[in-house]
Amino acid sequence: MTRLKLLLVEDNPADVFLVREALHEESLDCDLEVVDDGEQAIQFFERADAGGQAPPDLLLLDLNVPRIGGEQVLERLRRSRTCAGIAVVVISSSDSPHDRKKAADLGAAEYFRKPANLDEFMALGKLVRRLADKRRGAVA
Amino acid sequence: MKLSEAKAAPISDDLQTRLAASESRVAELESRLAEAEETLHAIRTGQVDALVVAGPDGDQIFALEGADHAYRILVEEMQEGTVTLDQSGLILYANRQFASMVRLPVESIVGSSISRFLPPDRRTTFSTLLAETDGTRQRSELTLMADDGLRVPVTISLNRLETGGINTVCAVITDLTEQRHYEAMVKDGELSRSILDQAIESIVVIDARGKILRVSESARKLAGRDVLLRHFDSVFEFWDRDQKVDAPRLLSAARSDNGIRSIEVILHHTDGADSTLLLSAGPLWSSSRDLLGCVVTLTDITERKETEEALGRQAHELERMNSDLKQFAYAVSHDLREPIRIVANYSQLLEKKYKDKLDEHADGYIRHTVNAAHRLERLLDDLLAYTQTAETQHTVEAPLDANVVLAKTLNMLDTALAESGARIESDALPMLWVEEIHLQQLFQNLIANSLKYRSDGLLRIRITAQAGKDMWTLGVSDNGIGIDPQYHEHIFGLFKRLHGGSKYSGSGMGLAICQKIVERYQGRIWVESEPGRGSNFLFTLPKET
Repeated sequence: MTRLKLLLVEDNPADVFLVREALHEESLDCDLEVVDDGEQAIQFFERADAGGQAPPDLLLLDLNVPRIGGEQVLERLRRSRTCAGIAVVVISSSDSPHDRKKAADLGAAEYFRKPANLDEFMALGKLVRRLADKRRGAVA
Repeated sequence: MKLSEAKAAPISDDLQTRLAASESRVAELESRLAEAEETLHAIRTGQVDALVVAGPDGDQIFALEGADHAYRILVEEMQEGTVTLDQSGLILYANRQFASMVRLPVESIVGSSISRFLPPDRRTTFSTLLAETDGTRQRSELTLMADDGLRVPVTISLNRLETGGINTVCAVITDLTEQRHYEAMVKDGELSRSILDQAIESIVVIDARGKILRVSESARKLAGRDVLLRHFDSVFEFWDRDQKVDAPRLLSAARSDNGIRSIEVILHHTDGADSTLLLSAGPLWSSSRDLLGCVVTLTDITERKETEEALGRQAHELERMNSDLKQFAYAVSHDLREPIRIVANYSQLLEKKYKDKLDEHADGYIRHTVNAAHRLERLLDDLLAYTQTAETQHTVEAPLDANVVLAKTLNMLDTALAESGARIESDALPMLWVEEIHLQQLFQNLIANSLKYRSDGLLRIRITAQAGKDMWTLGVSDNGIGIDPQYHEHIFGLFKRLHGGSKYSGSGMGLAICQKIVERYQGRIWVESEPGRGSNFLFTLPKET
């Protein structure tokens, strides 16, 4: 079984650490690639499309990132030849219904609100495992 | 004397006879002299109308026309009406003035009863007056009725005369019509002066050349000096934007019938200050439709304008503050929340990984950090709820079933309710014109308070509803620890708490939020409570939208 490949678009190192902690807690065997703005995320898709990079299995995306926002990243993702089909988890500090709807409209599979409670944050690991299992099942 | 002396001397019989004849002649002459003197006196005092003089051709009658004529002219030319009446009120004589008062020729008056010219209800009174008239003069005011029905106010003065054994009464009648008219005019003048003195509006009456004829007291104050008979333009300088509102413009507008209706003008005072006034002007017509002048009415709206402007500035300022508040709320919800969440997450992570691995002091530090982060987060949630409540109103489109909202709220509080073992009862609740989130916050905050401040025994919470005229009064009562009356108002203030955090935790915003919500719906919230006797929080919400 190939190792799970994840791309995390997140500019806050504290949250990157917490995401790593959640994945670790769930004992997920995965490669986590981290970029800290939207522009680098798009470059990642372009490299994958050019064959210079394997596409990820899952995208963890903070909508509020510098240079190019999360929404534009999602739009660009849908046009990518190699990455368009990957599952997306939007992670955000906003709880507004408006943001949730926007994410769903742009094809995000899950919306994860960054909680203040650590146990709730750690639940992100389980969410990623569930999506990864689903993807493997589909591939198999 | 000579005769007496002669008598004393001895004289002849012939002489004696002649003397006696002379004496008789003297006596006769003396008697005739006395008679003549009496007649002259009578003539002089007007007791004689005519003289009968015996002459060689028989008796001759001389009427004293000269004297009589003068009196008659006097009587006829008098301004007063005069009549002579007999005892029964029959008119023996009337002058021309009286005839013109009652609108009849003199011939048709003489021989009629005076009653003919008196209103029916005054006839008896007049008869009495007539009968009682003695030598002294009697005066009375009454109304004469002219032949054509015109009523003439008069004073009548009566004098009794006795001539030739006939009792007559002479009446002098003064027409008061003119006087009454004059009095009425004086009264009108007083009335209009009184109106002008009391009018809050400034009123200026000008003639057709712009001269000020009348001013109200407030107009005089507006001018700051006496302005009567001065030219309007030399006293007042009104501007309608950049156009001067002078006497020619006012008069021409008045002449055009429409006049001027409430235009806003600026008055430049001599001291440099300005007033803002509403100016109206209307025509003053004569009975023959000549323009006599115009009436200018001014209402000082300087204060009103200033108040309006101040309100406008305040509204603008409030809008700006509200906008600041919204930005603040946004900053709180997003920018502040992020670092607080990180502090919360990492303090928990620290606790999870290093509890019992450092010393007990370190464990304490970590616990305090975790608790503070939690409190900070809840404070932010409440602060955000509070500021969002303050945002502009949305209209509620349909009434809400309060029973359903209560059920949802109890469901949300399920865990806390189960832990407390509270027993909850509720009246049948009404439909309410409020937003669901607001009613839910009210129930949630008040029930959470009951749970928080409970006594040791079984907690009972009761939700009540009572219909008023325009509002429903809802209540959340409990048998908890209660609140001292001195704090009943204090507790609705922002960040007001009565208990230390160790025993009863909270942000101190719950009741402030409740108050803000009910005030949005023109309702109010209060508490009835005493320490140890539970609390009853009551709030009103409108029955209609």
